[in-house]
Amino acid sequence: MTKIDCEHVVDYLNGTLTDEDLHAFEEHLKTCADCRQIVELTGELPYLAEPIEPPIGMKARILTNVFEEEVKEKLQSEPKPKPKPATVPVIKPKAKRNWWTPLIAAVLLMSLIGNAYAFLKLSDQQEPETALREVDLQPSEAFNGTGQARLIREDGALDVVVSTAGLEDLQGDEIYQVWLLKEGQPIPAGAFSPNPDGEGAAYFSLKENTEGWDTIAITREPNAGNQSPQGNIVLSSEL
Amino acid sequence: MEKSSDFMLYGRIQRQDKAALEELYDRYEKILFSFLVKMTEDPDLAEEALQEVFIKLWRGKGEYDESKGKFTSWLFTMARNVAIDLIRKRKKPSVPLEEVGDLVNTDSSVEELAEWQEQKEQIETAVQELSDDQQKMIQLFYFKGYTHETIAGICGIPLGTVKSRIRLALKKLKKSLHGVQERGAIDD
Ligand SMILES: [Zn+2]
Repeated sequence: MTKIDCEHVVDYLNGTLTDEDLHAFEEHLKTCADCRQIVELTGELPYLAEPIEPPIGMKARILTNVFEEEVKEKLQSEPKPKPKPATVPVIKPKAKRNWWTPLIAAVLLMSLIGNAYAFLKLSDQQEPETALREVDLQPSEAFNGTGQARLIREDGALDVVVSTAGLEDLQGDEIYQVWLLKEGQPIPAGAFSPNPDGEGAAYFSLKENTEGWDTIAITREPNAGNQSPQGNIVLSSEL
Repeated sequence: MEKSSDFMLYGRIQRQDKAALEELYDRYEKILFSFLVKMTEDPDLAEEALQEVFIKLWRGKGEYDESKGKFTSWLFTMARNVAIDLIRKRKKPSVPLEEVGDLVNTDSSVEELAEWQEQKEQIETAVQELSDDQQKMIQLFYFKGYTHETIAGICGIPLGTVKSRIRLALKKLKKSLHGVQERGAIDD
């Protein structure tokens, strides 16, 4: 272990300390007012930047990618059910404006669902811990497109997987948003942008409040991240 | 009204509350984006960095707790390190050394941005109290993320002294800022 002194504050800020030295430096911070003040200064230094107006649409892009990234993470961390043919490309984390991400995630997910479904069949006789439900989504008047929703109940969580085809292209910041409704009260349950062929997919996992949803709907929202629907319903079904 | 604290918001994010992540995003989008543009001098790369910051927050990588100091210090330091990583990976040649720019751009107009105007003015005033060398040290280390070797080369100083010079510049700046803030409080 290195001898920790005040000069290590520079390495601390650069995130280059080893775990052991990091721990030692955090102890040092407790007793060294000089170093604490330097660390505190980093909460103010960024204000030297010229204020720049964030680009239009950046919020929607970033939040969509962050929540999609979660799907990929989850998929990658699940034990692989069975090696997929090598046709599933490796996705680099550079997810920006990557139309293919949701579809590939959906493809990977299908193999997981296959597994969940097999499990369901095997445990037919007993109380099933995994339950799968599949519904067809109906297009609203004046809309085209088809879709399916799968609701998978496993270990107390409810996973919602939506796949769609034939949806219209989105403009600007628009996004297709999935909602679950209980007695008319919606919660957001995943969002997606279709690929150039009009196909899209979304995945969402609910850990709490998994019971009693009576409707699933997809709306075309003017932007991502809305907590209640602002756009028209494109596809929906009772559950 | 007291808005919900960063720490509370962070707790909700750890419980995978998407609305909390969105609220935190709204709260820090502008300062983080501006900071990342200053560092990368490339709005696209800044957006990529910002996305990486929120992916890290959402995944709960590098956990924050209150023993690590203010939440903003932790958040900005994380963002800075993400940006440094991306800057070093970037294919584009780095900006010529003569063009690294000044730490403070004095001909800026910030009148319309009341929300951070005061904070900006205070830290700019504090920066003016540093020597040119100290200002350069903070610019090269903090905002440009240069390695100690590069800084030693640019400043023509021995490699072994870089760290202590960085530390002294930061320490001096914090002291000046403290002074500026005290004076501000008395003027009010
Ligand atoms: Zn110290």
